[in-house]
Amino acid sequence: MKATVLAPLLEIRGLTRRFGGLTAVDGVDLDVGEGEFVSIIGPNGAGKTTLFNLVTGLDDPDAGTVRLEGRDITRMAPERLAALGVARTFQHGRVFANLSVLDNVLVGSHVRFRKVRPAWPWPLKLLEPFAELALALIRPPSVGTEEKRMREEALAILARFGDRLTPRKDNPAYSLSYANRRRVEIARALALGPRLLLLDEPTAGMNQTETAEMQALIGELKQSGLTILLIEHKLDMVMQLSDRVVVMDEGAVIAAGKPAEVRNDPAVIEAYLGHRRTGGAAGAVTEAVS
Amino acid sequence: MASWFDYTVNGLIIGNIYALLAVGLALIFGVSRLINFAHGSVYLVGAYAGFVAITHLGTPLPLTIVIVVAVGALLGLVIERFGLRPLQGYAHIAPLLATIGISFVLDQLVQLTFSPDPRALPSQLPDTRFQIGAGTIGSLDILIAATGLASAALLFFFLRYTRLGWAVRATAQDRDAAQQMGVDVNAVNRTVFAIASGLGALAGLLVGMYYNYIDPAMSLQATLKGIVAQVVGGVGNVPGAIAGSLLLGLVESYGIALFGTSYRNLFAFILLVVILVLRPNGLFASRRQTPPEPMTGTFIAPSRPLNIPAPALVAAAVAMAILPLVLPSPYVIQTLTNAWLYGLLGLSLTLIAGTVGLVSLGHAALLAIGGYASALLALNLGMPVGLSILAAGVITAAIGTVLVFPSFRLRGHYFSIATLAVGEIVSLVILNWESLTRGPIGLSGIPPLALFGIELDTARSVYWFALGALVVLAALQFRLLGSHLGRVLRAVRDDDVAARSYGIGLDRYKALAFAVGSFAAGVSGAITSHLYSYINHETFNAQLSILALTIVILGGMGNVIGAIVGAVLLVGLPEVFRVAAEYRVLIYGLVLLLLVRFRPQGLFGTI
Amino acid sequence: MSAVNRRLVLGAAAALAVAAAIPAWAQTGPAKGEPVYLGVSGPLTGPNAQYGAQWKQGFDLALDQINADGGIKGRPLAYVFDDTQSDPRQAVAVAQKFVADPKIVAELGDFASPASMAASPIYQKAGLVQFGFTNSHPDTFMWSNSVSQADEQPLSAAYAIKRLGLKRIAVLHLNTDWGRTSKDIFVKAAKDMGAEVVAVEGYMPEEKDFRSTLVRVRDAKPDGVMLISYYSDAALIARQIKQSGMKLPIVAASSVYSPKLLELGGDAVEGLFTASRYFPDDPRPNVQKFVAAFKAKYNKEPDAFNAYAYDTMILMAQVLNDVGPDRKAVREGLLKVKDVPSVIFGKATFDPETRRVAGAMNVELVVKDGRFQLYEGTSAVR
Repeated sequence: MKATVLAPLLEIRGLTRRFGGLTAVDGVDLDVGEGEFVSIIGPNGAGKTTLFNLVTGLDDPDAGTVRLEGRDITRMAPERLAALGVARTFQHGRVFANLSVLDNVLVGSHVRFRKVRPAWPWPLKLLEPFAELALALIRPPSVGTEEKRMREEALAILARFGDRLTPRKDNPAYSLSYANRRRVEIARALALGPRLLLLDEPTAGMNQTETAEMQALIGELKQSGLTILLIEHKLDMVMQLSDRVVVMDEGAVIAAGKPAEVRNDPAVIEAYLGHRRTGGAAGAVTEAVS
Repeated sequence: MASWFDYTVNGLIIGNIYALLAVGLALIFGVSRLINFAHGSVYLVGAYAGFVAITHLGTPLPLTIVIVVAVGALLGLVIERFGLRPLQGYAHIAPLLATIGISFVLDQLVQLTFSPDPRALPSQLPDTRFQIGAGTIGSLDILIAATGLASAALLFFFLRYTRLGWAVRATAQDRDAAQQMGVDVNAVNRTVFAIASGLGALAGLLVGMYYNYIDPAMSLQATLKGIVAQVVGGVGNVPGAIAGSLLLGLVESYGIALFGTSYRNLFAFILLVVILVLRPNGLFASRRQTPPEPMTGTFIAPSRPLNIPAPALVAAAVAMAILPLVLPSPYVIQTLTNAWLYGLLGLSLTLIAGTVGLVSLGHAALLAIGGYASALLALNLGMPVGLSILAAGVITAAIGTVLVFPSFRLRGHYFSIATLAVGEIVSLVILNWESLTRGPIGLSGIPPLALFGIELDTARSVYWFALGALVVLAALQFRLLGSHLGRVLRAVRDDDVAARSYGIGLDRYKALAFAVGSFAAGVSGAITSHLYSYINHETFNAQLSILALTIVILGGMGNVIGAIVGAVLLVGLPEVFRVAAEYRVLIYGLVLLLLVRFRPQGLFGTI
Repeated sequence: MSAVNRRLVLGAAAALAVAAAIPAWAQTGPAKGEPVYLGVSGPLTGPNAQYGAQWKQGFDLALDQINADGGIKGRPLAYVFDDTQSDPRQAVAVAQKFVADPKIVAELGDFASPASMAASPIYQKAGLVQFGFTNSHPDTFMWSNSVSQADEQPLSAAYAIKRLGLKRIAVLHLNTDWGRTSKDIFVKAAKDMGAEVVAVEGYMPEEKDFRSTLVRVRDAKPDGVMLISYYSDAALIARQIKQSGMKLPIVAASSVYSPKLLELGGDAVEGLFTASRYFPDDPRPNVQKFVAAFKAKYNKEPDAFNAYAYDTMILMAQVLNDVGPDRKAVREGLLKVKDVPSVIFGKATFDPETRRVAGAMNVELVVKDGRFQLYEGTSAVR
């Protein structure tokens, strides 16, 4: 089933991934327009996170293509995609445990550090690491200025989370509560200055209050015009935030369209009724992370 | 041509012996994801238990076997209960180091009790021999093969058809899920350790009888070869371990056939590296979708580092600088000079293993490369010594990084084993490349330390030279850690998947860190070679690699000051304990164990 | 933190100073008063610890006798044994310590050449005599009464080729500096005597499995095997030669001479040929006295390492008695001392050029009926 929109930012065609006998992602087509908010829902094991991994380069598809603003990014390494403005968060939350909150966010903005990371053409490119080392040790004024600016931007991002993160900006991430760690992840993703933000179950394991807070924040991000792709199990949130919803089951897209359309689609109801696990939203089946 | 048959038979025979060790290691890794460095020590204890039984108690062979297996199983239970169980939930590096510490303690206890002299362990089987090709095999070969096969078969039935066996397999596949399903994971661990250790002890008895020779040094060799065999076959995979052992034996045998005896271990370790790089899951592992490795970020003990204000550091550096003037004892000065050189090694490893998370077990190889490079530049090219030391640092950075680079794709334990193998390979290449290094004869007459043409011939001047190098490199490392690059390196350590997703190219930064760290290690090795005027392939041995790692843990992973203080304590403490020299290594192992148990973040905390 | 750091270091230094003043293994005898000290640098722990233990046995036996006879001009002779694990770094630290301790008049050891050579410049500068008695690196420049390989290997070659009539020899040697140097000298001597060396195999000290090596050896079709080994590896090789079915005469360097060879080798070493600088059945009285005393004290037969250590202590006692316990004088004393009764040499005198002793005993032996016996037809030959 296809969902077409004018001028897609992200264009996925026929994306397929098999693990042995299991087809985790089965010929998925998906378009995301600039500024759109698209949610992907479906029962556990439907292939949602695998789809994210394929799009962000952590895994390679067996077939199909992914295009970002017309450019083929299939099988491109995650490092390069980050430089192209693709940021993601992870299903189980992957912060840098021993780095402070602020440092986590600053690492998020790695691709925007220009002064400490000279970009040279080949063959000079081989000398880039030496240059980075030299700049780290010598630190000319331009480097210092950039560091200062980046810090300010990072602090501004932290401020968006009220007083959740700012008072803890120098604390190591491992000392934070689960909810705060998820927030740090999002802050880090914002620090990249993304064109496309992929959020993988950002409210997993959160209680109602925390979920509501997160929903409000994501709503703000949507208001600011960010293109967002969201995986979620909390259907209320999905319905309230999304421009479009895509439903996956057993690797394939079984429905797509506006939230109201999808909610009443018989195939979707069948998929959920037929596959509903107890405690569906909180279920945690490990999906292969490559 | 007939010889090739004999080489094959010999390869299978020695592979047979390796299999006894590898199976035990595979079992333990299978359930606890732990490479048990203490396995060789259990093997050793088994051999000596057999020795006591046969020579002092006069027991017949079947009873001896029962005693030895029981001793081994008991020892395995003790190790699991007191050495490893308290470390559950700690960072993964803790049990790794714990098993190293345990092996030190056990080996020393055996040596203290029985003396380091080799002992005869007579076989009690009739010495019938069967002709195979131009050689023979004897009753012990058959017994060893039978033991290997029988234990494999017993294990197979145990794992397939008993409840406890299912519990073991479930735990091996997914520990948390098994626990949630009601499996008593602790009981499983105990059982596996007991079985594996009983088997390891039995291996010691059989091999001791085979060669009529036991000595405390057999422990380390057994562990190394067992690990190689296990990795080749597939870590955690019992039939794979047996197949890997046979393959290892064959590779060694053919290596000897083609190149000569000195090349045996070289082939073993090259095989290991090739397997790790091409098929890290081993040759015989079933194709798996998820890597059987812990996620990154679990190798570091989280902690808040002790914050030492800069003026205090400066004061300390000044105090160390004027120390020779205040306390002119050449002995103290010499000991501290040694400490500074170990401090450089510590700086190197704390950057590589601590800051970036590449836990290298073969770091002494970098010292060797630096030592030989500087010595050869000075001896053969007449380069002035200060310059040769700098050049040696650069050479070490280049060679070290190139050698390790293919292993960067490996994760966790695999990477560490690869570095162990690379370290051994470097040592063996130095030994065998005689036209360059003079082989075992070593390089002598290395020019003494000199700066700008002035020879440094007093203990004090050497002290200041070493201290100066240390202070400069430590300061640079501080600067590095405080920069954006420092953040990036720590991100690579903490979560490499997330790091990649935010634009950090792993190979690039790992290589960068490794090169910087290797420079410091190369300089340390270079200074050492000029200080001692003679080096050979044994000067920078495997024990130094473990010592380096202990220094780094003691100080706190990634912690610059910690590395230096750790070096001072670990070089100074053995001197203080010189009064109890025979117990020194034992105390050292205990200290390591206590640290790991009660303070894995070290004295100053992880950075 | 810096205060703690400094205190730690100073505390350690103080402890060291105290430890240095208390010799840990000093022996005292009926000779009275403040002992005269020798410093011993050698392995008490680590891979060579067994040799350090054997040194101590030799030293202690010698000291019993020396101190019963009045010691050094009435003062007891004693030694301070500091553990270096034969590690060059530790040997250097110990050298600094000995050099700084005025009570130490001379130094004995280390066990392995790298350790000795690393410490050498320190001893040289301080004018403290460094006396090695079991190492034999070609570049050493210290005093030694160990028989250099340059003297010893041609004797082995002569035994193998001229006395036993071997013409095609396979050489297996320890791949260490001692083994390599010895192998080179042996091979040259063998060629000079008209024999062919058909195979050369170097092996690592911890090697236990020689089967494939022996296939290589067998393929070279030798008529005899020469082992440049220590007793442990020689025993292993001999057993595996027997197991492989090869029937070849085995000649081994004198370093295998030890009761341990018989214990570890069992009946596989029956018929093995070797030589020794000393032999317990040597009828010379000072040898017999040594063997009897050793057996009485330790209830076992002495081996070469015990004998060298014993000899060295006797030698040093003589020198010290001649010139008095003074570092500079010791050097002079070594040059001048003559005809010291020696288990190894009969009578020992130093060659001032090489600072070694010439003319060691050479007793040709064979293992027969589970014991070392004189090879037929020879008596102790100079």
